[in-house]
Amino acid sequence: MSTTPTSSIWRGTTLLAVAAVVLMPVILPSPTLATEILIFALAALASNLLLGYTGLLSFGQGVFFGAGSYCSALVMIHWHFGLFPALLVGILAGALTAFVIGALAIRRTGIYFVMLTLSFSQMAYFVAYTMSSVTGGDNGLLNVPRPPVSVLGFELLSLASPLVFYGFVALLFLAVFVAARRVIHSPFGSTLVAIRENENRASAVGYDTRQFKVLAFVLSGAITGLAGALYALLLNFVPLSNIELATSEHILIMTIIGGTGSLLGSLLGAGSIVLLGDVLSALWPRWPMLLGLALIAVVMFLRGGLWGGLLDLKNRLIRSPEPPQPDTRQKDAAQ
Amino acid sequence: MLNVYLFQVLNGLGLGMIYFLISVGLTIIFGLLNFVNFAHGAFFLLGSYLCYTVVTLTGNFWLSLFVAPLGVALLAWITEQVLIKRAYHLPHTFQILITLGMALIIREASIMIWGPIGKSVPTPAGLDGVFRLGSFAYPEYRLFMIVFAAVIGLLLWFLLERTRFGALVRAGSEDTETVSLLGTNIFKLFSLTFALGVGLAGVAGVLSAPIRGAHPFLGEEVLGIAFVVVVIGGMGSFTGALVGGLLVGLVQSLMTTIWPQGASLMIYGAMAAVIMLRPYGLFGRS
Amino acid sequence: MSTVLLQTSGLGKAYGNFHAVNGVDLCVRAGTIHTVIGPNGAGKTTLFHCLTGERRPTSGKILFDGQDITHRPAHKRVSIGMARSFQITSLFQELSVRENLRLAAQGRDGARALTFWRPTEARRQHLEIADQILERLNMTARANTPAGDLSHGLQRVLEVGMALCGKPKLLLLDEPTSGMGIDDIPLMTSLIAELGKEHTVMLIEHNMSIVMSISDTITVMSRGQILVEGPPAVVRQDERVRSAYLGEEG
Repeated sequence: MSTTPTSSIWRGTTLLAVAAVVLMPVILPSPTLATEILIFALAALASNLLLGYTGLLSFGQGVFFGAGSYCSALVMIHWHFGLFPALLVGILAGALTAFVIGALAIRRTGIYFVMLTLSFSQMAYFVAYTMSSVTGGDNGLLNVPRPPVSVLGFELLSLASPLVFYGFVALLFLAVFVAARRVIHSPFGSTLVAIRENENRASAVGYDTRQFKVLAFVLSGAITGLAGALYALLLNFVPLSNIELATSEHILIMTIIGGTGSLLGSLLGAGSIVLLGDVLSALWPRWPMLLGLALIAVVMFLRGGLWGGLLDLKNRLIRSPEPPQPDTRQKDAAQ
Repeated sequence: MLNVYLFQVLNGLGLGMIYFLISVGLTIIFGLLNFVNFAHGAFFLLGSYLCYTVVTLTGNFWLSLFVAPLGVALLAWITEQVLIKRAYHLPHTFQILITLGMALIIREASIMIWGPIGKSVPTPAGLDGVFRLGSFAYPEYRLFMIVFAAVIGLLLWFLLERTRFGALVRAGSEDTETVSLLGTNIFKLFSLTFALGVGLAGVAGVLSAPIRGAHPFLGEEVLGIAFVVVVIGGMGSFTGALVGGLLVGLVQSLMTTIWPQGASLMIYGAMAAVIMLRPYGLFGRS
Repeated sequence: MSTVLLQTSGLGKAYGNFHAVNGVDLCVRAGTIHTVIGPNGAGKTTLFHCLTGERRPTSGKILFDGQDITHRPAHKRVSIGMARSFQITSLFQELSVRENLRLAAQGRDGARALTFWRPTEARRQHLEIADQILERLNMTARANTPAGDLSHGLQRVLEVGMALCGKPKLLLLDEPTSGMGIDDIPLMTSLIAELGKEHTVMLIEHNMSIVMSISDTITVMSRGQILVEGPPAVVRQDERVRSAYLGEEG
């Protein structure tokens, strides 16, 4: 959790993201798997805005994800919303839940902040479970349609084919990726990093840090809501597990293992974990144990995550005489 | 009719005492070590599974009540030596992530050893009867559970309030530097406290096994409840853990017949309300 | 005499029955260097925290530049021209020196930084301020060094520099030489003296030689109240000041 956004270093990242998005359906066994990776990459990227850039560990990500998928699915099922209006509903649902949870949770800091997001996450789960007439409860919300791309009632493109749907998700992902880079390099983004580094000081130089944290929550919730809506379209189904605490943990783990404080890290984290799960779950159902080990290893030894590790490696290879500088400085005042 | 309520209240007390044992361990670890242990529920789970194994092998529940918590505490001590003690100085966020990883490992390892389907533990021989008082009947084991947990609670209180170890733990939770100046090996004290706190979760795991059995996903449920109790009672407070545990146990037990999800909504809602209105809990110090 | 920039009247801060600050009437004139001294527990730090907005006073008023700011939160005091430094160095440790200063400059109109759709470069004025201050602090060569890698003395200087970035009318410095090595202190002294030519400075300080050499006015506090106030020459001679300090030592 140490990377500083400096645009000059990161100029190549968008190109790398485009390359990854183009290559994935070629390399991976199925476009559906590639789509799932991009959807979770969106969720991880959104969680990164909070954890990596603002320093907020939120267990609310699953709530935003669930709210996005439930709301977009419901308006498609009951009110026959088209594709874009439904996605917009998903984004708004994520943003709105994030606003409410964020605005309440940031009234506290440190462990109490984390506990607040945890309790809201649990409450959201039990609400979804109880309102089974709306959400389908334990059975999930079935028969979610996947409407075609249409403009003013004219149908332009059916998304029924997995590859076409991948293309659609990929375009959205790239749009969000570029937008998120812009956010990070904006005055707002640099202030988030300032808050992560030293909230007290940020406040003393004139920032109302609460406003910034709430806005970070809203942006993160909007992107996570979009990811949830896309996930409902992918599965044609909304499982109750979308809104579970486990989903929040899953998203957090992808963010951390990929690398906090770098957007490509989120793609890398989501990619490796979704892929690992896909390959290993048939061979060795206990593969989540590896996630546990990786989580510990990253926090103890490799704060930059997989992406940070790759950058270190690159630096080592290119400038071999100069030893790389592992970032071991501890931030004991981070809370 | 009154007997039905009495039954539910006793059930709530039993559940509450289990929650107390789990939470008091969590709260001691937080109080002295300033360490947030998200693996606490996983250690509880391990207690239940170890109980199952000992009972299956020897048929002796009493042996498991002794062996399983010790086993859990030993494992906790080893993890403390290898990993946890390197994380005391880290921000809470990192501690949460590390112990979250540990919880994942323990859960998956439990499934590897004991399989994905839950195990049930028979009610111990000699306590499988029913206690009668007039027209009221109540399972003997559940009464034993309440009494046993109370005894452990008393012993713990005695340990914390009346012994040198307890004095050091209490002093340490106020000011670690002073304790190390007193010439005590603070690291040893920390290791012991961590093993003790986690061992208490192990005791709770054994006690609950004949009632709820052992199931891989019990750990997460219990962890959530333990944090609710600790937050409501006040982080680091012994009395808070007792009162909070009993409150949560009673609410859950009285709501089971009416609306069990409502109970969960209520207790997590209470947790959020306490943090926002009174962040140091009902019995915590500011 | 010049105009009054900061004025407190009957300012008090009580914790239960303990009055840390008790009825303080302080008057900081524009363009002066005004130092508050006093033995430990005299209430200077609490007074300072009331002025920065970290603590809410329990009685009295604070007027700044004609506005009542008694209950204004800390971050809203920056935009009207107050800036502060911390006694314990408080920087964005992992960010570069220049980014520390730029963030401080950007904070002057804090809420405008909520624009998440604009690139940082679109607001050049903040970088320009940062570079001016870098030059002023003689730290241009260290612009890209992470703040946490600076020597302790330079971190103290940067601490003051960040306060300067807000283009403040009033600089509030909380023990600027605290923890500085003996070799670094002249650097800080000359910096503050220099700043005093353009800004109004109010500081808390323990180091008597600094206090006496740079201050225009000294306020001596004791037990939450003002004991003596005046130019260094007057304060130095005052019997009550001596006994207050002797009392502390004895």
